[in-house]
Amino acid sequence: MNKEISIIINGEVYQHSVPIRMLLVDFIRDVAGLTGTHVGCTYEGVCGACTVHVEGEAVKSCLMLAVQANGRTITTIEGLAVNGKLHPLQKAFNDHHALQCGFCSAGILMNMAEFVRTNREPSEAEIRNALIGNLCRCTGYAHIVDAVKDVVGGAGSAGAARQ
Amino acid sequence: MNYVGKQPGWIGRQFNRKEDYRLTTGKGQYFADIVVPGMLHLMFVRSKHAHARIKRIDTSAARAIPGVVAIVTGEDIRSEIKSLPQPVVVPALPARYPTFWPLAVDKVKFNGEPVAAVVARDKYVAEDAADAIEIEYEPLPVVTNMEDALKPGSPIVHDGWENNEMFALTFTGGATPDSQATNDAEVDHLITSADVVVKGRYRVHRCGVTPLETRGALATWDDADGMVAWITTQRPHIDRLALSDVLDIPTEKIRVIAPRDQGGAFGVKAPFYREPILVCHMARKLRRPVRWLETREEHLMSVSQERDQIHDLEIGATKEGRIVALRDRGLADNGDGCEGVYWGYLMPFLGSALLPNAYDLPKCDIKVRVACTNKAVLSPARSFGAYPTRFALERAIDRLARRLNKDPADVRRVNLISSLPYVTATGVHYDSGDFLKVWDHLIKTIDLPKFRAEQREAWERGRYIGVGFGVGAELSGVASSVLVPMENQPGYGAATVRLDPRGKVQVFEGDAPGGQGHETSMAQVVAQEFGIHPNDVTVTHGDTSTTPFGSGTIGARAGSYTMSAISTACRVLKKKIARVMAHDLNLNADPDDFVFVDGSVIYTKSDNVRKTFREAVERIIMAPLNLPAGETGGLEHTAFFEADAPMICFSAHAAFVEMDANSGQIKVTRYVTSEDVGTVINPQIVEAQVQGGVVQGISNCLFEQFVYDEHGQQLTSTFENYKLANAADVPSVEVHHEAGTPCPHTPLGSRGLGEGIPGAVPGALTNAVCDALKPFDVDINELPLRPNSVWRALKEARRAAAG
Amino acid sequence: MYPAIIENYDAPKSVDEALQAFAKRGSESCFVAGGQSLMQAIKARVLSPKSLIDLQHVTELKGIEYNKGVVRIGAMTRYRDIAADERLDGAYQALRDAASHVGDRQVRNRGTIGGSLCWNYIAACMPPTCMGIGASLELVSKAGKRSLLAEEFLHGPLETARRDDEIVVAINLPAAPTTCGSAYKKWGLVTDALPVVGICAYIELGDDRRCRVARLAVGGLATGPRRAEAGEKSLIGVSANDGLAISKAAETAATSTETQSDIWADADYRKKLIETLGREVIVTAFARAEQGKRS
Repeated sequence: MNKEISIIINGEVYQHSVPIRMLLVDFIRDVAGLTGTHVGCTYEGVCGACTVHVEGEAVKSCLMLAVQANGRTITTIEGLAVNGKLHPLQKAFNDHHALQCGFCSAGILMNMAEFVRTNREPSEAEIRNALIGNLCRCTGYAHIVDAVKDVVGGAGSAGAARQ
Repeated sequence: MNYVGKQPGWIGRQFNRKEDYRLTTGKGQYFADIVVPGMLHLMFVRSKHAHARIKRIDTSAARAIPGVVAIVTGEDIRSEIKSLPQPVVVPALPARYPTFWPLAVDKVKFNGEPVAAVVARDKYVAEDAADAIEIEYEPLPVVTNMEDALKPGSPIVHDGWENNEMFALTFTGGATPDSQATNDAEVDHLITSADVVVKGRYRVHRCGVTPLETRGALATWDDADGMVAWITTQRPHIDRLALSDVLDIPTEKIRVIAPRDQGGAFGVKAPFYREPILVCHMARKLRRPVRWLETREEHLMSVSQERDQIHDLEIGATKEGRIVALRDRGLADNGDGCEGVYWGYLMPFLGSALLPNAYDLPKCDIKVRVACTNKAVLSPARSFGAYPTRFALERAIDRLARRLNKDPADVRRVNLISSLPYVTATGVHYDSGDFLKVWDHLIKTIDLPKFRAEQREAWERGRYIGVGFGVGAELSGVASSVLVPMENQPGYGAATVRLDPRGKVQVFEGDAPGGQGHETSMAQVVAQEFGIHPNDVTVTHGDTSTTPFGSGTIGARAGSYTMSAISTACRVLKKKIARVMAHDLNLNADPDDFVFVDGSVIYTKSDNVRKTFREAVERIIMAPLNLPAGETGGLEHTAFFEADAPMICFSAHAAFVEMDANSGQIKVTRYVTSEDVGTVINPQIVEAQVQGGVVQGISNCLFEQFVYDEHGQQLTSTFENYKLANAADVPSVEVHHEAGTPCPHTPLGSRGLGEGIPGAVPGALTNAVCDALKPFDVDINELPLRPNSVWRALKEARRAAAG
Repeated sequence: MYPAIIENYDAPKSVDEALQAFAKRGSESCFVAGGQSLMQAIKARVLSPKSLIDLQHVTELKGIEYNKGVVRIGAMTRYRDIAADERLDGAYQALRDAASHVGDRQVRNRGTIGGSLCWNYIAACMPPTCMGIGASLELVSKAGKRSLLAEEFLHGPLETARRDDEIVVAINLPAAPTTCGSAYKKWGLVTDALPVVGICAYIELGDDRRCRVARLAVGGLATGPRRAEAGEKSLIGVSANDGLAISKAAETAATSTETQSDIWADADYRKKLIETLGREVIVTAFARAEQGKRS
């Protein structure tokens, strides 16, 4: 029922024996103590608040078991800023007031961090489409879109993002 | 001489939020992030039936699971916990209040009612145990239709009630049956003799504003110090009183803390609910920390369900479009009605009270009835009861315009209140504002004549575009004169402002924000008052041990009441600092002769007579010698603010749609608002409130619906089925607040906004759809607004036109 | 919310290892592919497998191979990789239409074509799309191999022809003449929602540039995905610019398909959606067929 696993999160190795049924998001929050990743729905995996990077790709950590991440490299919101230097998205979110309650923000930042890395100069429609997997209740999405636009390019933007 | 500071003021200025750093780096402190060593996990077992007697609950298999610490049922706790209603959470309004405990006793009344609770050392094990509990029910007949619920012969939801009517009220015509009868007869006469009468049934479905963070309660108990409870609540001070009364814990031994960060609330976290009562009770009983974290499924089954009203509304008008009288019979589906503070019915109550909205309607006959059914009770949602009543009147006005072949914008303008203050026919006081100015600004911004020309051209080419309007005169805070009778609670704003010897400021206030940016906007207000920087100001909120009493983050109180209390407290302290400074410098001066700006306190009559703010403050706190007569050391003040009269904030909305007349598909192409928020403290925060509120309104109108089948089974308990708008579904809102006027009743001229924004949306959207499809004479008066229903309406309209 | 106890977890690296694991663990095991649907069911305790056999490390199941016009898509190929493969055009383009709009981009980073087909959820895109483009599935078990056409494989919602001990290893797309086109569209209440109705059209043109082979497959039905044969028949001999015939074919597809009412749409509106979406995908499929395959 338990399995010994080793997961690298934000550059640190976490080696633990965990129940096979433990969700990856619970491993991140309860075992690794990184509570920046949130749970907003029950099992449907629709809200996206639990989004992290597995091998640099945005996935919903509530739809994976911790054992499935054995041997993998994960980045959570706590690992988005490197050595205290904020990711351009984190700065843009502040400049554009792209968060209110902030509960969805970690998931959105992680999703968008991959998106901006892999999409040069997306249109607004493409940005909005890319955000489908993250529900936000407070902002109506407008300022989030503005923040992402600022980061991805266009005249006078903060420049293209580097992960 | 007027001293003008070099530093621009902080009010009305963009200032990046202070909350964002921690919230964008994963350092927020939300409820689920709080860990108390040894905490146990509580999970509820919820009723599978909509209406049934509980025959037997077998917990033996569950108890045998290792790690299970306790299991309780209604029978176990009914003698241990006082039932509700208790006076502390009962409004001073005449309604029937059903008796209930945190767990069902004798029978269950809705699919999802808590029936038992498991406490275990591990949350996964708690669910295993919950699954292992066997419950035998005897199903009872189910009533899920509010009209049927009020008919003779309906199944009765509450044992001992002879019918399912929980509340009924007449809002107009004074306080006595005679005066009301006279009023009703007058309204009837005005309607019957009017040039044109528009009669309709307007229906808004069950939906709400569910936040992304679900509820939770974590309680610790110590025999000596009592209870500490973290609760996802908008109203920690109220919860503390209520828990004290219900659980018989002396108030000095109970502390309620709303977590510093909450993932949205929108009213859902304002009532006094079943679950925290049980969690606190179990913590005390077990003498161990107990935590409940709500699942999304529990949440969607038991809270966030609001609106759900039917309005039979008639308006009589002149042929110029001026409404002369209005009659409304409202009906609301209140589910089982079991909820502390609001009891579900307060929403339709307020909704009907606000039905006249921003229109000048002195002659009204408005009544409401609220029925119990086998559903979850209504819980507050942004717009608080007014979403359906706004929809009804806005549709009625558009239908009036169509009958008279006039532009709905013109008919609206002719009926808007033109002069304030104003008291509605339902007795609601609107304090100030220039509605026509705000409205005209909207019409100018959207260039309505140009759009109408485009529309005509589009129709000729088989393209269907339309515009629809809605307005909202929304609560800007809630005065005691309303809150005391309505909720047994005060409405004043309260804040403690404390200066420290280094010239920094701490603010303490008892409300509990969930994303509104209070830490930032409040810091801006304080910074403006003292001439310092917002980064020198910290705000502590939500902890009943450290903050003054506050009624909570409800009804847009912060911008109007709490800000005003903060500003008042700052001004008291400024006067003291000025008095001491005048005394120290031997000046024959008034406090008004000093300005606080650029980090200094400056004598305006000679501006090289000054001290740094820090010096001035340090002297009074740390070296309180030779003070003026009657003055003491220290610089801390608590202020309470009550407005002279209830205040509002007004907005006008325009929604633009493009319709596919073949399939009924709806595309929202543009959405524009014109707002009067008075003095703007933080422009980005104000705009964001509108963006979010409008999108919630759109999402409610088009996508969200809580569905119960004919057996009362809930079909919408996951986000797969209760669909929220995603980023690709909605446009950005164009927000304008240039046409606002400062509020004369608050120190800063600010108004509270945010609460009522969704209310204007369903009217605007539905009006836009009907406007776009005007060539087909489509008339939609029921929500949700779905392509399926538009298509059906088009089919029927075509059939009717064909003869 | 949380899964029931799972006793075993295996992460095989090959198909053989995966089959061994199943043989060892027995019938109360589940294979897990991307998990975007299965995990929902496991968390809801609709399914409570004793063992999980995770296919994510079986590299031989990933990737798209092109060999003499035949396309072989490994069952564990993710939506994201299908959506990005521009060689899937013409006859197969419906696959990209579908894959690029499943769920959201996080789902597309994990979800797989094989997983979707094996789950055969009522509201899924891969089943009708694979039916429409004439795909067949390759299944492997300890007993041997077999190949089934999509419509033989897909039964009612959540039911397929796969035996518990079989693994779908690949989806094979037949070599198609250059003058073929396919397209897929869906409708759900919110953007890119699970399809209330999804329809795939496949058109093959003859030398006379008229439709020689037509397939229309509809998903979102209580019956499971279905071909709309009456609609298909009425497309034979039709050319791309024959708007009237195309509309009629879509209408025929709609009226001849058995639809259901639920909280998303009533049965009549579902037919309306089949008609409107059907017309759109037929037109697009014709256009793609006219362009001819580029690679």
